[in-house]
Amino acid sequence: MIELVDVVKKYRIGTHEVVALNGVSLSVRDGEFVVIMGPSGSGKSTLLHLIGCLDKPTSGKVIIDGEDTSKLSDRELTELRRDKIGFVFQQYYLIPTLTALENVELPMVFKGVPKEKRHSRAEELLELVGLKGQGDRKPNELSGGEQQRVAIARALANEPSILLCDEPTGNLDTKSGKVVMDIIKRLNVEEGVTVVLVTHDPSLSDYGDRVVRIRDGRIIHAD
Amino acid sequence: MLIELALRNLARTKVRSTLAIIGIVIGVMAISSIGIFGESLKAVILENFKDVANEVIITPNYIHGYTSIDARTVRKIETIPFAETVIPVKSESALVEYRGKKTYVTVYGIDVRKTKDLFELEKGTYKGCLVGSKIADFFKLRVGSRITVARKDFRVTGIIKEGARFDINPNYAVILPLRDFDRVFNDREYSMVIVKVKSIDKIDAFKKAVDKIVNRKENKVSVFEMKMIIERIKNVFGKVTLFLMAIAGVSLLVAGISILNIMLMSTIERTKEIGLMRAIGAYRETILKLFLTEALILGLVGSAVGGALSFLGGYSIDVLILKTAKYVFAPSSIVYVFLGIAFGILTALISAMYPAWKASKLEPIEALRYE
Ligand SMILES: Nc1ncnc2c1ncn2[C@@H]1O[C@H](COP(=O)(O)OP(=O)(O)OP(=O)(O)O)[C@@H](O)[C@H]1O
Ligand SMILES: [Mg+2]
Repeated sequence: MIELVDVVKKYRIGTHEVVALNGVSLSVRDGEFVVIMGPSGSGKSTLLHLIGCLDKPTSGKVIIDGEDTSKLSDRELTELRRDKIGFVFQQYYLIPTLTALENVELPMVFKGVPKEKRHSRAEELLELVGLKGQGDRKPNELSGGEQQRVAIARALANEPSILLCDEPTGNLDTKSGKVVMDIIKRLNVEEGVTVVLVTHDPSLSDYGDRVVRIRDGRIIHAD
Repeated sequence: MLIELALRNLARTKVRSTLAIIGIVIGVMAISSIGIFGESLKAVILENFKDVANEVIITPNYIHGYTSIDARTVRKIETIPFAETVIPVKSESALVEYRGKKTYVTVYGIDVRKTKDLFELEKGTYKGCLVGSKIADFFKLRVGSRITVARKDFRVTGIIKEGARFDINPNYAVILPLRDFDRVFNDREYSMVIVKVKSIDKIDAFKKAVDKIVNRKENKVSVFEMKMIIERIKNVFGKVTLFLMAIAGVSLLVAGISILNIMLMSTIERTKEIGLMRAIGAYRETILKLFLTEALILGLVGSAVGGALSFLGGYSIDVLILKTAKYVFAPSSIVYVFLGIAFGILTALISAMYPAWKASKLEPIEALRYE
């Protein structure tokens, strides 16, 4: 369960102030698939980063599974991200020196999962995203769609209950974008993973149980 | 995995990592080579004194009004069991002449049977008048030359090999057999007694015995241990070595700055990666550890290579300057190699501290968004 209560996020650039989110309240039930849509600069990424505890709101509350994240230390927030949340970014952000398999293992390394176990889990996950046997390839030897699938596998490494996707298909062609979206949808349906996906691509709205529209840092329509 | 990650990061910028390692290699090599050299230099110098380490010099206690040691006291000293050889010495400053040249020197009277315990000869025999090498040079003396000491004629029977002693400078000495000395200077008392103690660790016992037997009523004599002077020399050379190593340490400092520099570059280049790792569950300490591990690897590799090469460096300097390599692998030299290695590793770690700290302080989202 994700709850945002009257969240405001302001950025200060010199003396200039940018209000990225201007009083957003939103709740996402467990197992729900929510698509957040809005034009560029509307505050979608900012919203997702706040949900993912990568950033803190200027005011308002972000509550994850009943826990007010503003009360958590940096260490606790790190553990929350590690254990409960999986991120998928538009730019994939794979570590170039590590193989696909090692990239998937990384969150488990941070959690202290023993080598054998994380190895076999990483292989399972690669199989899940349709990259069976591709584990020893480096990111630069993979296509964009494949890299994004590795990123999804990595996001799932520590069995998170929440998957946060920021324009996951933004850098992909239609076909590989569909493969990625199908994987995300399947995880939501079959594994019950809560998905919050932000995009400005209207064609992705069909994947969600619910679409939330955002403009100028405000939710303008939630159905 | 952290080590694996660190290794791959270093491999990513091979040239840079190699240069950093070379810096450490040079620094460690400079420090350790100089350490080896300093230690060898000390050993070479102490070698000259190794025969005198167990010697003790007994002199009259001038403060209490004694200017000489009488024969009775010498006999008492001879009874002390820790004494191996007791060599009473008389001395007097006197005019020495040869073929119109003259100079004042210190003339010593020593039992002919004992001079061999104190000096080695360049030429001739111990049985008569011995002259130091500098005196021989000055007068152009040879074995058989007739010199005048305090207006009495003597035939030189031996020329003393160049050397160093603390009590008698062999190079400028003229040594007469006691019998002759007494003839020239009319039966003086002894000016000092040189004692070779059975072993170095018996010196303290010997000193105690002297206090008990000779100085019981009055402090007639003072006792000097050669050991003390040797300790002093060691100490001074230790300091010189340390000073030279500190100068060599500058090269390690430069290496440290280069590591600081490449690590800072690395944190900036890898900002996004750091952000990503923080996002997926790396603690600040994990990032800190990663960077320190990278530095540690540079330090370990550089120091190991530098340490190994420092034997080569130490060997070269020793051969070049001291003309001997026999102290290069002495345990006391090897200590300096380990010291150099420790400094190398420490330098790498200290240099990486600031960049590692900086990397660990990055806010995940700012790091991810960094362009
Ligand atoms: N770190 C920052 N510093 C200053 N301003 C920022 C920062 N991050 C976001 N903003 C501003 O906040 C607003 C919302 O940005 P955000 O990235 O959330 O938009 P978005 O909806 O994700 O846009 P896009 O579709 O282009 O990704 C924008 O005006 C942006 O310029
Ligand atoms: Mg965005």
